Amino acid sequence: MNDDPAIDVTGLVKRFGGFTAVSDLDLRVRTGEVHGFLGPNGAGKSTTIRVLLGFYRATAGRVRVLGLDPARHAAQVNRHISYVPGDVALWPNLTGQEVLDALAGLRGTRDPAAERRLIAEFALNPRKPVRTYSKGNRQKVILIAALAAPTRMLVLDEPTSGLDPLMEEVFRRCVREAADAGRTVLLSSHILAEVEALCESVTIIKDGRLVEHGRLEDMRHIAASEVTARVPAEQVAALAERLRPIGLTVTGPDVHLSVPRQRVRDVLGVLAAFEASDITCTPARLEDLFLRHYEVASR
Amino acid sequence: MTAVRLMLRRHRLMIISWSVLLIVLSAVTPSSYQSTYRTPAQRLTAVELARHNPATTLLYGRLSGSGTPASMYVWEVGAIAGVLVAIMAVLLAVALTRAAEDDGTLELLLSCGVGRRVPLLGAFAVLGIVAAGLTVGCTAGAGLATGRVDGVTWPGAVAFGSVTGMTFLVFGALTLVLAQVAGTARGAHVLGFAVFGIAFAVRAVADERNAGWPDWLSPLGLRATVRPFTGDRWWVLAIHVAVALALAGLAVLLSDRREYGAGLVPPREPGDTRLNIRTGFGLTARLSRRSVLAWTVAVACVGTLFSAMGSGVVRQSRSGDLGGFLGAQLGSGDPVAAYFAYSGTVVGMAVAAFAVLTVLQARHDEVTGLTGHALATGVRRWEPLVWNVAAAGAGSAVILVATGALSAVIAPPVIGGTHAAVRAFAYSAGQWPAAMACAGWTTLLIGVRPRWAWLAWAPVVAGGGLALLGRLLGVPRGVQRLGVFQHVPDLGAASPDLRALGLLLLVSGAACLLGVAGMARRDLAGG
Repeated sequence: MNDDPAIDVTGLVKRFGGFTAVSDLDLRVRTGEVHGFLGPNGAGKSTTIRVLLGFYRATAGRVRVLGLDPARHAAQVNRHISYVPGDVALWPNLTGQEVLDALAGLRGTRDPAAERRLIAEFALNPRKPVRTYSKGNRQKVILIAALAAPTRMLVLDEPTSGLDPLMEEVFRRCVREAADAGRTVLLSSHILAEVEALCESVTIIKDGRLVEHGRLEDMRHIAASEVTARVPAEQVAALAERLRPIGLTVTGPDVHLSVPRQRVRDVLGVLAAFEASDITCTPARLEDLFLRHYEVASR
Repeated sequence: MTAVRLMLRRHRLMIISWSVLLIVLSAVTPSSYQSTYRTPAQRLTAVELARHNPATTLLYGRLSGSGTPASMYVWEVGAIAGVLVAIMAVLLAVALTRAAEDDGTLELLLSCGVGRRVPLLGAFAVLGIVAAGLTVGCTAGAGLATGRVDGVTWPGAVAFGSVTGMTFLVFGALTLVLAQVAGTARGAHVLGFAVFGIAFAVRAVADERNAGWPDWLSPLGLRATVRPFTGDRWWVLAIHVAVALALAGLAVLLSDRREYGAGLVPPREPGDTRLNIRTGFGLTARLSRRSVLAWTVAVACVGTLFSAMGSGVVRQSRSGDLGGFLGAQLGSGDPVAAYFAYSGTVVGMAVAAFAVLTVLQARHDEVTGLTGHALATGVRRWEPLVWNVAAAGAGSAVILVATGALSAVIAPPVIGGTHAAVRAFAYSAGQWPAAMACAGWTTLLIGVRPRWAWLAWAPVVAGGGLALLGRLLGVPRGVQRLGVFQHVPDLGAASPDLRALGLLLLVSGAACLLGVAGMARRDLAGG
């Protein structure tokens, strides 16, 4: 393993005619890490991924994937990448097994043992024609092809939208195994629990722009915890007076506060002193980070 | 009614382009039957010969009436229009029903609380609306010649228009039934075209045997039973309206008895098959194997039949009184060569359609995301397009060589003449550059202007129009030469001129290169 980032994007701009899908985006994924790529629908995640794979040409910016410019060396880059698109269409008149054969044949490298193991783990019947598969089964086919291929990186664009919870669990295990084996994973997802469970760091984009990125742990530190409690009615005014200097407002006996992480201890102490009951304290979840940026007008 | 409007809106391009083609065909041709034969006597000789010619009888049916330009128009253009509306009906009926079921848009419609039978009844309503449009359009097209062309009357024109519209409606309703039987759009197409073939054969047998009754069994026999301009037997149309309604009823009945998304015929379980491919071309070849086989069988059989039926035409042409549509096809020169050139042109058009469809598949794969899967394995950007061009080239070569070889074996004993086998083969195989020119144009569009991919059909339609109707309509020779299908030289002649074919190949190669280069530079569409 080397220290060069597997994905290194600086100032990426992608315009389609007059529409700017991605503007001035930075994305850095270290080799060997599992990186979450988050954003609301239409934020530009898939567009960015297609630039990484060389399907789209960047309008501006510097893009390096595995050290190469995908606009010029798409084939070389893709040989080392497994890609799972969100909307999986397959050749309708081939069977699942034939699709796996076709993709492995095109790639030229194959790990038949891994493929057999994954077919069993995902409980796929590969003998049926693709047109009879459900969305989840089509997704399994392409996931098996991607995970079984001997590649250095996995690019997954909402890969589990059709899987049932059991298969979702299998998927998480497989991604962890891939990461343990030293493969880099870029996971674009809407399922925050999935990202939280798998990813070390995340990049959040909105309207084609970067809004937040970094290690998940660090982001939790910056983010506020949620504290709720109930205080006796006669104490409300005094409590409000006490918390105002910290920048928190209390308006009634049902207290609902968003507290910066370093003040949590103080605030809990104050609440206890004011005879508060039903005190809860929830550390920041990815959901909160996410939703903070999500309240956007659709575009 | 919203469902009907939605269907019309979704398929308007298909409906409008086919309707315009048919209406223009029926409007521009009548006057040429008036002008082709200078004297009534000349026309009567041609009519007399046409009545005893097995080839034209096979293709167009029996020439009824006194042989006015109007009856010759119904005989020839009516036959072509009948074939075209039948194909249009199969394609549109499948698109309205099975294809929508396959791609899931029908499910969307049903989930909006639309009744289970509404999509099928809506499809029938759309077919009815299109049939009415065709009736009115073709009536107007033919009727405008009233007074200028002998024998054309407004009632006759209405009969002609109605025959065209009803042939469409009956084939459409028949396809609705078949779409319940087959489990996929592809299967419904195969069944639909098989039934079309049977209908054509039944009509041809009726006319060859001079037995009228099989005409009543074939939707393509409607023209022979209604007899526009000569008999105007209106009541026959009422039978066909009843038949169309009954077929629609049957389709509803069958649809009530099957599962959503399945046909009445259960699909075959494919089992434990493997795919052993090493290259992208191997994959494309595997995927297009069945379609190449089907096209080869169809084109080889029809093409050979076509060239073998030419003896009467050749004899007639030798005596110098062939006129009308066929006469315009053959022109002057060696009659055997001219006839093979004509049947080769028809074969060439079919194979060009195959080539265009095969290359267009690359665009379809790109939009649906299949190309994305291939590229993600480390295949270079331009490769998938090249695989499809190669499949188009190899496939059309297979079809043309098979057709040429079969014709070369079967046609010469029937037709006679010098170098018959060589000519039968060469006029088929020689259409390969034309098919490749069409494939090249398609490649260019996909690579450089993918949104205009539908224009891929332009050289096939324009070339076919110029080849089949150019001389009849008096199109200047220089313009006719712009069509792609009329450049095959006579290999039986002393020194065949191969330059035009070389030019076609050159144009094709250049267009392919530009298209592939464009593909490598532009953004990928879709998944």
